[in-house]
Amino acid sequence: MNKRNLLLLGFAVVVAAQLAVPAWLIIEREWTLREGQVFKFKTRPVDPADAFRGRYVWLGLEPTEVKVPDVNQWHYGQKAFAVLGTDSNGFAVVERLEREAPAGQPVVLVHAGWADSKKGELHLTWPGLDRFYMTERKAPAAEAAYRAHSLRTNQACHVTVRVRGRCAVIENLFIENQPIHAWLQEHKGK
Amino acid sequence: MNKNAIQWLYTELPRLVAQGVLTPDADARLRAHYGPVEPARPARLAVIIFGVLGALLIGAGIMLVLAHNWEDLSRPVRAGLSFLPLVLAQGLTAWAMFNRPQSLAWREGVGALLFLMIGASISLVAQTYNISGDLPRFLLTWALLGLPVVYLLGAIVPALLYLWCITEWACHLRFEDGFAAGYWPLAALVLPLLASWLRAGRYATRPTLLLWALCLSVTVAAGVTVERVLPGLWIMLYAGLFALLFLAGEFWFNEAEGFWSRPLRHFGAAGVLVLMFMLTFEWPWKEIGWHYWWGERFQHPGWYALPDAVLGSLIPVAAIVLLGMTVRRKTPLGLLFGLAPVLAVLGYALASMTEEYAPSAGLFDLYLLVAGLWLLLTGIKINKQGQMNVGLLTVTALIVARFFDTDLSFLLRGLIFIGLGIAFLVANLVMLRRKGAGHEQA
Repeated sequence: MNKRNLLLLGFAVVVAAQLAVPAWLIIEREWTLREGQVFKFKTRPVDPADAFRGRYVWLGLEPTEVKVPDVNQWHYGQKAFAVLGTDSNGFAVVERLEREAPAGQPVVLVHAGWADSKKGELHLTWPGLDRFYMTERKAPAAEAAYRAHSLRTNQACHVTVRVRGRCAVIENLFIENQPIHAWLQEHKGK
Repeated sequence: MNKNAIQWLYTELPRLVAQGVLTPDADARLRAHYGPVEPARPARLAVIIFGVLGALLIGAGIMLVLAHNWEDLSRPVRAGLSFLPLVLAQGLTAWAMFNRPQSLAWREGVGALLFLMIGASISLVAQTYNISGDLPRFLLTWALLGLPVVYLLGAIVPALLYLWCITEWACHLRFEDGFAAGYWPLAALVLPLLASWLRAGRYATRPTLLLWALCLSVTVAAGVTVERVLPGLWIMLYAGLFALLFLAGEFWFNEAEGFWSRPLRHFGAAGVLVLMFMLTFEWPWKEIGWHYWWGERFQHPGWYALPDAVLGSLIPVAAIVLLGMTVRRKTPLGLLFGLAPVLAVLGYALASMTEEYAPSAGLFDLYLLVAGLWLLLTGIKINKQGQMNVGLLTVTALIVARFFDTDLSFLLRGLIFIGLGIAFLVANLVMLRRKGAGHEQA
C-alpha cells in the first residue's frame, strides 16, 4: 500500500469515528424517546431572573433529597443511580439509591449532595437533566412571559423524562400542564 | 547562531568588503560557514494566521446560521443538520490533504476548523436532545476524536486545541472529585509529533509554540492530578517540574537566542522564581507532611493516590539527576535554578518534622536574595539588561514582601521603596549608556 492510500485509509477511519460519536448520541436518545418509560418530574420553582441562561431554561428537578440507610457512607459529589418509581399523583420518586446501575431497571444518574445525618437524608442533584433548550429568537419573549407568570406558576412546572436503562432524555417542559411552547404562545400578549 | 544575526551579517558583508575590512575570500568563507539563510517571509505567516482566523470565523458562522431557525425544524432534521459542519470540515480537510499537502496555511486552517467542528457537532446534538451535565466526558471525547487530525495534517493549531481540551478535562474532572491522572498519557500522545518537528528543526516555530503550550499545560495539570493524600507535596513537585524544564532547556535547547525561542528555559526559570517567592511566606509550610496524612479521610480507592507517589518522586528525582549533570558542566545559572528541588525537599522535611514554619520560609528568603543578587550582578557584568532586571525585580519583590510582614514605620518603608526605584533607574541607565558606548566603539 503506497503512502497516499495509507493516508486515505487513515483519514477514512478518522472520519468514520468522528461521525460515529454524534450518530450514536442521536440513536441512543431517539431509541430512549421511542421506547423509554415516561416519568413526570416536578421542577422546583426556579428563580425567574435565573431561569433563562442564554438559550436554555435551567431546571431544578425534584425530589432533591432521598432517605438512605447508610447516609454517612456517601460523599459529596459521588455518582449514584436513582431507581425510579411513581407516587400517587403520578410524579417520579426515588425508590432507592444504588452505587452501581442495576440491570433491567430504569435508573437516572444523580450526584450526591450534602448528607443530613439527623434525618437520614441525602441531597441530590440531577446533572444530566438540568437544561431545556429554547430558541434564541423566542428566548427574550419567553423570559418576559415567564417572569410575569412566575408567581402564579410556582410548583406548577414539570418535565417529562423518558428513561431506558441508564439513558434518560427530557421529552418536554410543562407549565400549568401545558407544554412550554404552547404556554408561552398563550401568555405572550398578556 | 541566531538566524536574524546571520541575516544582519550578510547585509553588512558587502560594505565590509568594499571598505577593505574583509577580503572577498573571507566574505566567501563566512558565507560558506554560516550557509544560506531563508529570508523571512512575513507574507507567508500572515497567510497562515488569516487562514486559521478565516476557518474559525467560517465555523462560527455555520453554527450561527444553523442555530438561527433551529426551532422551526423537526427534531430529526435538527439531528441530521448537526452533522453538516463536521462533514463540511471533513470534506475541506480531505481536499487540503490530497491537493494542498505542502501548504501550511491550508493545513492549519482546515485542521483548526475540523477540530472545532467535532466539538460543535456533538454540542448541536446535545442541544437537540437537552443533554447536559458531563463536561469532562464531552471534552475527552472531543480531544480523542481531534487528536488524529493533529497527526494527519501535522498542524500546530489542532495540537494546541488538543492540549487545551485535555487540560480543561483534567481540571473539570478534579473539580468533580474525579481521577485526572489520565492527563499524563494523553499529553504524551503529542510527544511523537513534537519529536518529529524537533528533528526537522529544533528552533522552528511549530515545536517552539508546542513547547510553550506544553509547559503551560503540564504546570496546570501537575496541580490537578496530585495531592490527594500528602499535604504540601505540590512544593516538591513544582520545584522539581520548573527546575526540570529549565535544565532541559539549558541542556538541549541552548543555542537559540531571544526570549520566545527558548520556552523550556524561560518558563522554567520564571516558574522557579515565582515558586521560590511564594515559599518565602509561611502559609505554604503550614500543616504539611506525614502528620497531616489524609489517608484515613480519603474516600477513593487507594490507587487514586498513585499519581502522588509517581509524580511527586519522579519529577524531583529527574530534576536532581539533571542537576548532577549540570554540576559537571559547571554552568552557574543551571546550578542556581537546578537547586530548587533540593531546597524544596529540605524545606519540606524541616517544616513537616519540626512543625516550625519560619526556618523553611527563611531558607527561601536566603535563596531568593542570593539568586536575585547573582542575576543582577552577572546581568550587569555580561551586559544583559533582561537578566539584570529579573535580578532587580526578584530582590525588590522579596524586600517588599518582607516589609508587609514586619512592623516597620511608613517613613522607613517609603524611603526604602524610593531607594529601590532609584536603583532600578540607575542600573538601567548605566546599562543603556554602556550599550551605547559599545555601539559607538563598534
